[in-house]
Amino acid sequence: MKRESLIRTLAIGATALVASNAAFASPSLEELTQDLKKMQTEVDKLQKQIQSLAAKQEARDAKQEVGTANEWPQSDSLFHMTGYADVGYVNTEATEGSFTVGSFSPIFHFQYRDLVMLESEMEIEVGDDGETEVALEYLVVDWFINDYMTLMGGKFLSPIGQFRQNLHPSWINKLPSAPPGFGHDGAAPVSDVGLQLRGGFPLGSVRTSYAFYVSNGPQLVAEMEEEDGEIEYALDGVEAEGFGSDSDGEKTIGGRLGFIPFAGFELGISAASGKATVTSIHEGDSSLLSGEAARDYDVIGADFNWQYQGFNLRGEYVETKVGADTGEGTAASEGATWTTWYTQAAYRISASKWELVARYTDFDSPHDSQDQEQSALGVNYLFSSNFIGKVSYEFNDGLLESDADQDRVMVQMAYGF
Amino acid sequence: MKNMRDCLAGLLSKAMVLSLLSVAVAPWTFALAASPAGDAAKGSKAWSENCARCHNMRSPSDLRDDQWVTSVFHMRIRAGLTGQETRDILAFLQGANDKVEYAGQKAVPLAAPLPATGTGKHIYESYCTACHGADGKGRLPGVPDFTSKNGRLSKSENELFNNVVSGFQSPGSSMPMPPKGGNSNLTEGDIRAVLRYITATFGQPGGNE
Repeated sequence: MKRESLIRTLAIGATALVASNAAFASPSLEELTQDLKKMQTEVDKLQKQIQSLAAKQEARDAKQEVGTANEWPQSDSLFHMTGYADVGYVNTEATEGSFTVGSFSPIFHFQYRDLVMLESEMEIEVGDDGETEVALEYLVVDWFINDYMTLMGGKFLSPIGQFRQNLHPSWINKLPSAPPGFGHDGAAPVSDVGLQLRGGFPLGSVRTSYAFYVSNGPQLVAEMEEEDGEIEYALDGVEAEGFGSDSDGEKTIGGRLGFIPFAGFELGISAASGKATVTSIHEGDSSLLSGEAARDYDVIGADFNWQYQGFNLRGEYVETKVGADTGEGTAASEGATWTTWYTQAAYRISASKWELVARYTDFDSPHDSQDQEQSALGVNYLFSSNFIGKVSYEFNDGLLESDADQDRVMVQMAYGF
Repeated sequence: MKNMRDCLAGLLSKAMVLSLLSVAVAPWTFALAASPAGDAAKGSKAWSENCARCHNMRSPSDLRDDQWVTSVFHMRIRAGLTGQETRDILAFLQGANDKVEYAGQKAVPLAAPLPATGTGKHIYESYCTACHGADGKGRLPGVPDFTSKNGRLSKSENELFNNVVSGFQSPGSSMPMPPKGGNSNLTEGDIRAVLRYITATFGQPGGNE
């Protein structure tokens, strides 16, 4: 038995030795070189994969860092200049056509993190006499209190309605002109100086926005007429353009509430109330005024906007009412009311850059010479979203042969930058 | 008439005071300790639903990341956006403002073909409906109608794929679609899946076969 086991062991050992010699036989140099090249290729591939993964991880880390840093990917302070400008041509029924420089309105933004922002818009215009006029359209410091509240102080655009605060820039306004009554001397207030709290918040499925303000309020202008040798006064207008002082010490409060019950539709209501005093006489000697008391000043407004694909319909109503004189002032004793409303439809022709616009406005003032009923038709070409060419024709109906009665053709190039 | 208006003015005054009080109290009660990051998918929806209320839609590629910060905060005030909506819109715009390839340019291929992370329907509803609409007819001016015969879906699948990857501005539109619809995380599989869904749901029979 022992002998058989020994023979079997020796046989297995000899077979293993032969097999191992075959297995560990030395490869040729050529084979080794090819193996080395293969291995080098594999290493290169692995290195590239590692680099790619590292780059992706780096990008993910950076995104995470940005995402968790209150959306602030830059330095703490930012400055950005934006704005708009327009040039054009106007041909009015009673006058010769003229090229015009509408306005250049740079807007400056200075922002520190998500805490505070300074916003300011200049309005630079060339008048009919060639003089350049510079005005401060607004200047506010916005404090972002939290996600739902921003407190702003300074000179701000009036939040009454939509046109003045959001639609007046020429690259946004779909016609070359403002609706009568919504300009700088109409029924709708333009701007004010004071404090404003605004923001937005959801109410279930309804989105809402709000703006409430307290301000210096407007000043009143009287006009003087001489009839049969006697001088008579009447209220000429309400100057609601953001005065830097409150001449009568009476503050105005007001605001707007906006509701968006479903995407594409917004409804807004506005109101303001306060006191206002006659402080000047239109083209007259203001020193003639004496004993002027503050009068009631009330504004109400409503607006809507509906957007469906390429179709947009909007409208707005504003009424400004000034009460009668309650004191012994020399100016008009009667009160006065200004009302204006417009509705505008615009349609962007499908798969094209053309847009058609129609707007109807009715502006009523205490003075027949200011009353105006206007129908405007326009065609726009959108070179881009912010560079727009406009051509419009206005059918104006006012006091016979007054400026308000002149039809006009307007051409405008507006650029929002 | 006067009494009615006085009554209305009274109601408005009370409504304003009540609203002011509600708004003043609610945010402090529910304010979060730290602002959560923006969500690009929600941002694209908020962007499409809010910006066109007043003006033509600006392309995300119009401005750099830092310029969008000040612009969007400016619009937060103008449009009455919440802070979260502001961050969402900013996340979308900053993620979507890569340079857009225009018609005729070659698309840059994706680095690695990765599989879809969701169904085409889910991807479409999450990232595409803000502009293209749930019915594929386009919610915003200038956005093409997928359902129209010989429309956008009559292109070949590869061309559509390249348009989505690199962004696209069609000749009749004043605003381009950003690369990958503004979501840089979409994989090749995602894009192919959403294109299959779009073609099957809105395409005309035999349109792009």
